[in-house]
Amino acid sequence: MLFTKILFRALITFICLGSFAHAAESLEIKDAWSPEAPPVAKVMAGYMTIKNVSNHEIKIVSLKSKLFKKVEIHLMDMSGGMMRMIRQDNLSIKPHAQIKLTPGVLHMMLIDPKKPIKTGSVIPVTFILDNNEKITTRIPVKNETE
Amino acid sequence: MQSKSALSSKQIILMIAIGIFSLSIGIWMSQKIQLADNDHQVPAGLDATVLPNARTLNDFSLSADNNQKFNLASLKGHWSFLFFGYTNCPDVCPITLKVMQQVWKTLPTKINEKGHPRLYFISVDPDRDSLDTLKKYVDFFNPEFTGVTGKLDEIDKLTKQIGILYGYEDKVSANNNNYTVNHSAQIILFDPQGRMRAVFSPPHEAKTIAANFQTIRLFYGD
Repeated sequence: MLFTKILFRALITFICLGSFAHAAESLEIKDAWSPEAPPVAKVMAGYMTIKNVSNHEIKIVSLKSKLFKKVEIHLMDMSGGMMRMIRQDNLSIKPHAQIKLTPGVLHMMLIDPKKPIKTGSVIPVTFILDNNEKITTRIPVKNETE
Repeated sequence: MQSKSALSSKQIILMIAIGIFSLSIGIWMSQKIQLADNDHQVPAGLDATVLPNARTLNDFSLSADNNQKFNLASLKGHWSFLFFGYTNCPDVCPITLKVMQQVWKTLPTKINEKGHPRLYFISVDPDRDSLDTLKKYVDFFNPEFTGVTGKLDEIDKLTKQIGILYGYEDKVSANNNNYTVNHSAQIILFDPQGRMRAVFSPPHEAKTIAANFQTIRLFYGD
C-alpha cells in the first residue's frame, strides 16, 4: 500500500516535472520535415513551424546538428525572377508569434552531411537561443514534396 | 440490263472512293493550314507564358552526363524542358526536380515515344558540379533526366538567349567551396524544332506543368 502510494507520488512528480520542463522551452517546433536529397547532395533543407511560446522576444543565435557541418536559416528572395538565398542571422521571433519554414520561402539549410541521409532517418537539430536556452528538435527525412 | 447495273455499281464505288479521297485531302490540307497558323498563335488558358513566335537560338557547346555533346542539335526531334541550377542548392532545385519527377509520372507517353519530352538540368556551377555528380544527382529524381554543364562562356551563350540569370555569392577565392549561386528558377520549354516555345515561372506545380505541356504539345504538334 505504502509502496503504491510512493510510486503514485513519484509518478505525479515525474509528470509535473516533465510538463514543467516542456513549458519552460521558449520555442515550440511543429511539423518538421526534410525532403530526401540525392546521395551526392552536399546540402539538405529543413521545413517546420517555429512558435515562440514565451512572453519575450526570442532570437535564434545559432543552430547545430551532429550530422552536419553547419546549419543555417535562409530566406529565399525571388525579386526580379532570380532566386537569391539570404542567410538569416539572429532571426528573432516576437512573443507568441511564429515563423514558417516552407519550400521556396524560408528554409533551414543543412550543410555538408557527414554521411548520406535517407528517407526514414531523423536529423537532430539544436537551436541555441539568446537566453542561452538550447532546444533540440528531431526532423524526419521524407520522400515528399510538401 | 445486268451488265449496265454492274457498271453503275462500279461507278458508285469509284465515286465513293473519289469522295473519300477528296475528303481526306481536304482534312489533311486544313490540318496543315491550321498547324501553320498555330505556329504564330498561343493556346488560351495557360499558366505558362507561351511565345507566339518561337525563338530560334544561336548554337552553344556544352556537355551532357551521357558523354554526348549538348548543343542546339540536341534540342531537336523532341520537346525539351530546361532547368538551371546547381547541386549544392538546398531548396528550389531539388523541389523543382521533384515536381518534374511528378510531371513525368503523369505523362501519357513513354521514353522514345513520339511526343515524350526530355529534361535537362543545366548546372551553372561547373566548378563544383562534375558531369558524374550531375548524373548521380538527376538520376535520383528520374534516370531519364540528363545533367548538363560546360564552360561558363558557353553556358552564357545559352542563358543570355533565353533570359536566364545567375551569379555567385561569396565566391571570393578559387578554393572557397562554400558559396551560393543565385539563379533564375524558370523552366524553359523547347519545341521539337529546337526553338524556345514557353516559360514556366515559379512556384512550380506538377499538375499545372503536366496539363499545360499537353495543351502546348497538341496545339503545335510533335
